[in-house]
Amino acid sequence: MNSLRYIKDLLHRNRYRYVLGVIFLLCVDTLQLVMPKVLESATDLLEEGTLTRNSLAVHAVALLIVSVGIAVFRFLFRYTLYGVSRSIEHTFRNRLYAHLQKLSANYFNTHKTGDIMAHVTNDMNNVTMATGQGVIFAVDCLLMPAASLVMMLQTGGLRLTLASFSPILVLGVLVFSYMKLMQGTVQRQQEAFSDLTEAARENFSGIRVIKSFVREKHQAELFERVNETNRRANLRFIRLMSLMFPSVMLISSLSFVIALWYGGILVIEGSVSLGGFVAFNSYLGMLIWPITALGWVANIFRRGSVSLDRINALMDEKPEIADKPGAIPLMIPGTAGRAGKTRAIEFRNLTFRYPGSSEPVLKDINLSVDHGKTLAIVGRTGSGKSTLVNLIPRILPAPEGTLFIYGRDINDISLSSLRSNIGFVPQDTFLFSDTVKNNIDFYRGFSTEETENAAKTAHLYNDIMEFPHKFDTIVGERGVTLSGGQKQRTAIARAVIGSPPILILDDCLSAVDTRTEEAILRELKELMKERTCIIVSHRISAVRDADEIIVLDEGRIIERGTHGSLIEQKGYYNDLYTRQLLADEIEEAE
Amino acid sequence: MADDNGRENEAFIEEELQVKAYDFRLLKRLLGFAARYWYLFALAVVFLFASTAADLARPYLVGVAIDDFIKKGDIASLGRTGVFFLLLVISGFVFNLLQIYVLSYAGQSIILNIRQKLFEHMQRLPLSYFDKNPVGRLVTRVTNDTEALNEVYTNVLVTLLKDFAILGGVVVIMFRLDVKMTLVSLAIMPAVIVLTVFFRRRIRKVYRNVRTSLAKINAAISENISGMRIIQLFNREKENFERFDRTGREYYKAAMSEIITFGLFRPAVEMMSFIALSLLVWFGGLEVLEGTLQFGTLYAFTNYISMLFHPINDLAEKYNILQASMAAAERIFLILDTPAEDDSGKLSIPDGIKGEIEFRNVWFAYNEGDWVLRDVSFTVPAGKTVAIVGATGAGKTSIISLLSRLYEIQKGEILIDGINIRDIRKDDLRRMISVVLQDVFLFSGRLKDNIRLNEESITDEKIREATRYVNADGFISRLPKGYDTEVMERGATFSAGQRQLLAFARALAFDPKILVLDEATSNIDTETEMLIQDALTRLTRNRTTIVIAHRLSTIQHADKIIVLHKGRVRESGTHQELLARRGMYHSLYLLQYQKQEPSSSSERLH
Repeated sequence: MNSLRYIKDLLHRNRYRYVLGVIFLLCVDTLQLVMPKVLESATDLLEEGTLTRNSLAVHAVALLIVSVGIAVFRFLFRYTLYGVSRSIEHTFRNRLYAHLQKLSANYFNTHKTGDIMAHVTNDMNNVTMATGQGVIFAVDCLLMPAASLVMMLQTGGLRLTLASFSPILVLGVLVFSYMKLMQGTVQRQQEAFSDLTEAARENFSGIRVIKSFVREKHQAELFERVNETNRRANLRFIRLMSLMFPSVMLISSLSFVIALWYGGILVIEGSVSLGGFVAFNSYLGMLIWPITALGWVANIFRRGSVSLDRINALMDEKPEIADKPGAIPLMIPGTAGRAGKTRAIEFRNLTFRYPGSSEPVLKDINLSVDHGKTLAIVGRTGSGKSTLVNLIPRILPAPEGTLFIYGRDINDISLSSLRSNIGFVPQDTFLFSDTVKNNIDFYRGFSTEETENAAKTAHLYNDIMEFPHKFDTIVGERGVTLSGGQKQRTAIARAVIGSPPILILDDCLSAVDTRTEEAILRELKELMKERTCIIVSHRISAVRDADEIIVLDEGRIIERGTHGSLIEQKGYYNDLYTRQLLADEIEEAE
Repeated sequence: MADDNGRENEAFIEEELQVKAYDFRLLKRLLGFAARYWYLFALAVVFLFASTAADLARPYLVGVAIDDFIKKGDIASLGRTGVFFLLLVISGFVFNLLQIYVLSYAGQSIILNIRQKLFEHMQRLPLSYFDKNPVGRLVTRVTNDTEALNEVYTNVLVTLLKDFAILGGVVVIMFRLDVKMTLVSLAIMPAVIVLTVFFRRRIRKVYRNVRTSLAKINAAISENISGMRIIQLFNREKENFERFDRTGREYYKAAMSEIITFGLFRPAVEMMSFIALSLLVWFGGLEVLEGTLQFGTLYAFTNYISMLFHPINDLAEKYNILQASMAAAERIFLILDTPAEDDSGKLSIPDGIKGEIEFRNVWFAYNEGDWVLRDVSFTVPAGKTVAIVGATGAGKTSIISLLSRLYEIQKGEILIDGINIRDIRKDDLRRMISVVLQDVFLFSGRLKDNIRLNEESITDEKIREATRYVNADGFISRLPKGYDTEVMERGATFSAGQRQLLAFARALAFDPKILVLDEATSNIDTETEMLIQDALTRLTRNRTTIVIAHRLSTIQHADKIIVLHKGRVRESGTHQELLARRGMYHSLYLLQYQKQEPSSSSERLH
């Protein structure tokens, strides 16, 4: 497949800017080639003795004009070409980010944040380098030597050109073979550095064991070994580099020696003018840098294309959960007085397994929640509770024909209408490093009053009032650090604001103390009256008033009923109940 | 999981400290590390001057060749000049090579030393420091930040010197060649200086904007990836995209102003050099016309001008590099200045120590005022086993850390054989105690290295003995490579039970007087469970043991049980005594342990 598939249109859209930039660049190059010509002409006139004050002034002014021209066009090409690469970068990064937003929870569960970060930062950077600097250098490195060579031929003749150019050919070969040699060295250097990183990481992660067993000295010795290996790898790299650049200088100087000696003879013989000799030397100087940089240009493009392939792989990732063509919005019948008359959520024979795993997490789930009713789910860790509730907002994909929301297969409902009707409090609270207000309102445009009410419902209002900037306090490392309970309550406020018709609480009170939990539950009960609710919890107090309670075990519903009927069944639920009574008793003891 | 990732990424997004590039306090400390290698630096400087001299001589030589030989048609002398030029080039090459090599050797050695020093210092920081700082950030200090310092030693210190040498050398040679022409060439310099000073300020600002806006993008990406599920759940894709776009736009603007600033600075400096060249052509040409100046000298001057402008061109870049390394230095010194754990105890452990433990009115808090242990007192007679039980959050696990002084208590005393542990040398104290934690940490390397923890005095035979004693030899010998098996993925290939047995073997191999252990709560298959319980009985025999107990069999075998509740000792006594009392232990027993009684069922609470 075409590597450029995700940026082709961007390159195409910017084609005029590229052409313009390259033209500017060519102007600079041409003017640079003119410069020695001016010097040549002045020298020759001087030699011939025909140089006058006036013609000298013309030459000086010509030089000045050329130099202003170079400066202006240099600015223009830099602005145009680097600018193009930056604007492509901006759009491309946005594209990548927009794509990430479409990927499902599963993708993020199976891919490390650090790796994804690397694509959006390092890889993107490499692509930008290739589309900007790479283009500039490529043009420069291919055109300048060619043009310089032509000018050399024209001013110094074939023999002088060949004689002084031959070492540069060697230089070209040398640079390329260096690059090959470098690859191995660079790789070893990177390995040494990553060993160093890993040694430090392991040490700091296991610092407890190291301290407990008094292994500091030994760990330091181990570290010294990788540290030393790293130094050696670095030195090997430096040795190669320190050989490379002076070698370039040496070989290019050889060219100059030849130009000086042989060119000098030619001047003496009269077959080349002194001016030609001076100009020839300048052209030779212009040749050296681009030839040296050729290997580097190749490197920029190679790195750029490797990075682009990695980004492409990420862009190719198909969103697992997306709107079907012709997805319909979720219609929820008028709320008043319909409690219990409509099926809000219904699971029909649902079996669910995570992609790539053969063992189902949920087996034969048959379950329905009527409009306005409350379902509670209890069960051991890993019994499938979270998986079950995450199917409802389609964070996880339910198979066709197994999950229905208000009578519609969930896969036929448009994602945005489904999710905007659900208030979800996830198990692991995630807040953004933003203000408390923005974390609750979450840019949905609720009024201040609504935000405050949500905070009150979640029993967070009083806490917020004690924060330095009230609702405008920033949470997280750069602002106040919230306690686990405060975080959970913020997440609750975020979910209940705007009274969504469906409310899902996934074990969201675990970090809240018993007393606050009861207070929140009281508030929520008020809220839940007219709403369809699903509560996952370990605590009897949170689930006992639900219209139906189910017990999940290894993905199956093993008990179901109301609090009273489950107690009578004397199964898992009853067990949980008695143990909780004991635990409360212990908790209460002072 | 999400949280872990977030912490790892903090290293990525951390904003840079704003430090001055020429912070003399920092420079002085950095130079302190270089002092040991002063002779290498001296050598590098000598080489540097030699190679600079060779570079500087070249235009002069070409000038001479033009004036004295080419123009006079002296082919023989031209040939000699060619040879001389060649020698100059080669010696320049050699000196340059030597200079770079000596200097980078010194630089790399200094980095090695700083890194080692930093690493060793970090190891001695109190455990609470590691609680507060994510591992990723600490790793960055030891790896990338120290690497960045390299620039100070190799790039800045010496290249700066080289730049000055070139500038000085060029000016001296120019003056010796022709005073008037020198003044003409330097006429532009005041303008160049003004330009550089002006741009340096802009460039600094521009760079800072680029860096901070890039940090913002990285932070936004990292946060949005970690919170993606929330964004999707609440349908906030559009809004978050818009905000991401705004952050990106900010970066774009900063990058564009960087392009403009550099786009102006570079050509401006270049133009200045061309203006100098034009002036030279004009005034020099006039002089040549009048016959007061040789053409070759004029030619040499044109070359010297470009040499003069070369260092000015990448001044801004060097400044930026220096600033980044200074920020890194600041972060490194911040750690080096963090006091290491207190180890003022002087006493060594006498040989005949019995290992009796006493907690006397111990108060402890991880965070000031937030007491985890309140006035806890108990004793463990030498050779006996005490089990500590309690609900979660009772403060049990903190006891493990306190005995080996991984954390310091705020009030009270902890005594071993009547000696306050604060008076004992920390190394000795910790050698006397083996700790087995719930989460067994395995290092990369061979299995046997994980047991002996690279302590060479522990022989393979002793390892075998230890593993046999704690029933770990069974599964180890079934591994294809046995004791030489490499631990992969932090030990994820071993089951929880196997890891527990390895930890037992590790503890035993060090043959401690005192054993402190936190029993694993995770599900362990019945067979391994039996091995563990059997090993535990043997391990604790005649050894002073404190165990945070989760298993009924463990508490039943304990000589004494201490019930901890909300940081206080509620009850203590033997299993039978406590059950008979029908107090909190009785409730706890019913809650946590009773279910284990009929068989050794694997299910456990907390």
